[in-house]
Amino acid sequence: MSNRYLILADGSTYEGIGFGSEATTFGHIVFNTAMTGYQEIITNQIYHNQIIVFSAPTIGAGGINHDAYESIFPTAKGVIVRDVAEVSTNRLKRMNLDKFLTRHNIPGITGIDTRALIRHLRETGPQKASIVDFPDDHAFDQLNATVLTTRQVDAVATPRAYPNPGTGSTVVVIDFGLKHGILRQLSLRNADVTVLPYTVDTETVLSLDPDAVIFSTGPGDPRDLPNSVFELMRQLQERVPLLGIGLGHEIFGLANGASLVKLPFEHHGTNHPVKEVITNALLYVPQGAGYAVDPTSIDHAKLITTHIDIIDNSVQGLRHRDYPAFSVAFFPDSAPGPLEGTTVIDELFEMIETKDRF
Amino acid sequence: MSKQIIDAMAMQRALTRITYEIIEKNRGINELVLIGIKTRGVYLAQRIAARLHQLENTEIPVGELDISHYRDDMQLEKPAAKIDIKVDVTNKRVVLVDDVLYTGRTIRAALDAIMDNGRPVNINLAVLVDRGHRELPIRADFVGKNIPTAQNERIKVNVEEIDGFDDVEIDK
Repeated sequence: MSNRYLILADGSTYEGIGFGSEATTFGHIVFNTAMTGYQEIITNQIYHNQIIVFSAPTIGAGGINHDAYESIFPTAKGVIVRDVAEVSTNRLKRMNLDKFLTRHNIPGITGIDTRALIRHLRETGPQKASIVDFPDDHAFDQLNATVLTTRQVDAVATPRAYPNPGTGSTVVVIDFGLKHGILRQLSLRNADVTVLPYTVDTETVLSLDPDAVIFSTGPGDPRDLPNSVFELMRQLQERVPLLGIGLGHEIFGLANGASLVKLPFEHHGTNHPVKEVITNALLYVPQGAGYAVDPTSIDHAKLITTHIDIIDNSVQGLRHRDYPAFSVAFFPDSAPGPLEGTTVIDELFEMIETKDRF
Repeated sequence: MSKQIIDAMAMQRALTRITYEIIEKNRGINELVLIGIKTRGVYLAQRIAARLHQLENTEIPVGELDISHYRDDMQLEKPAAKIDIKVDVTNKRVVLVDDVLYTGRTIRAALDAIMDNGRPVNINLAVLVDRGHRELPIRADFVGKNIPTAQNERIKVNVEEIDGFDDVEIDK
């Protein structure tokens, strides 16, 4: 373990001790306020090409477990912590965080004053960052010259269809780099799932005769996706119960005429209070978003705002007025996070049960 | 022996979904009127109205209907005057709300009572539970949950306003 540095595009430098992989990486830096669930967070593909700063003081005390992967191969670019736990007493653990990051070639830095770093990020907003051995001019030149890809979805979404068989309702998941939690929630409800690449056309989806379609979570800015995705959304929402999650929610908004705003600082954590407008009930939900649907751009003749974040009033859920189609910006699979968000998945299945009535 | 088949959360969710479906089917809430069938249907109608108010910031009138005089299994005298349902239904889109849909006779009686009060554009039916065993050609447009039952079973809907808690139970 040697000293390593986190450098930001705005010129600031943070010194700490390296762990995990020794690679030099570049990524977009974000902070996550979750107290637990670091394995799910690091393996979530929304963090493709991102360096994750954890605000919780100690990370790694639960080890790495077989049941907490949100993807097969994580593609985050770094993990920044105040203190990495070397010892885990979790009986389910397979390895510690250090070994896991080494295995997946992700560098980590421990011993950084993450409180100061996060305060800084809250003021300056998301930016490029790099994990380096020495913070000299050369390192900053390299960082400034780095152009991060805008085609994150292509890097993490499945190029091919695959099944996740069940005995219940037929659900098609359009994959933009999904969290395994979505499939886990569907399996819990016995759904017969087919995951399709996002380049699929409407006829192919309908040929599977789905009871419902889910547009999955994924990384990046949905405006970088091809137009065919929005057309697919518009055609499917008229025909079959539909749920958009995370990136899928942003696509649902865009497909129905709304626009996106960049959040001043991204929402990443498991403890965001969100109001369900229709009942005035409060939910605590996991979030991971850099963009939100602009509330002033919503065509109220078409969409209803169903959920609102009560910290910054950002739009967290939408529903179509004319079709059984809805979306949530947060992660209803609760991996990690409180279970109350999973009622969104129940809603989809109740929609399936009643859809034949119209 | 009674067994809970819908808990409070699922009941709330069912009412929420029915509310969205009412907006979906009526393409908005213009000229909408809710009429609850006494006793529990009234509270369910009020909850749907509260949800519509949250979403659309519009007060939807809620009527109440006591159908005792219109029932075909009781020898009550037909009321001399029409029953006051507290709302005007003429040229309105009426959503009739009840807790359990069973034989369909209650709904038939309710339809008679509404028609005596005016001429609505249309009438839809929303029920929390559809338990089957219809004796008349009546179906619900909005259903919280379909629960197949035997004739000798009893479905009991509890609402917080009078029972102190929300759930649906089945008695054998």
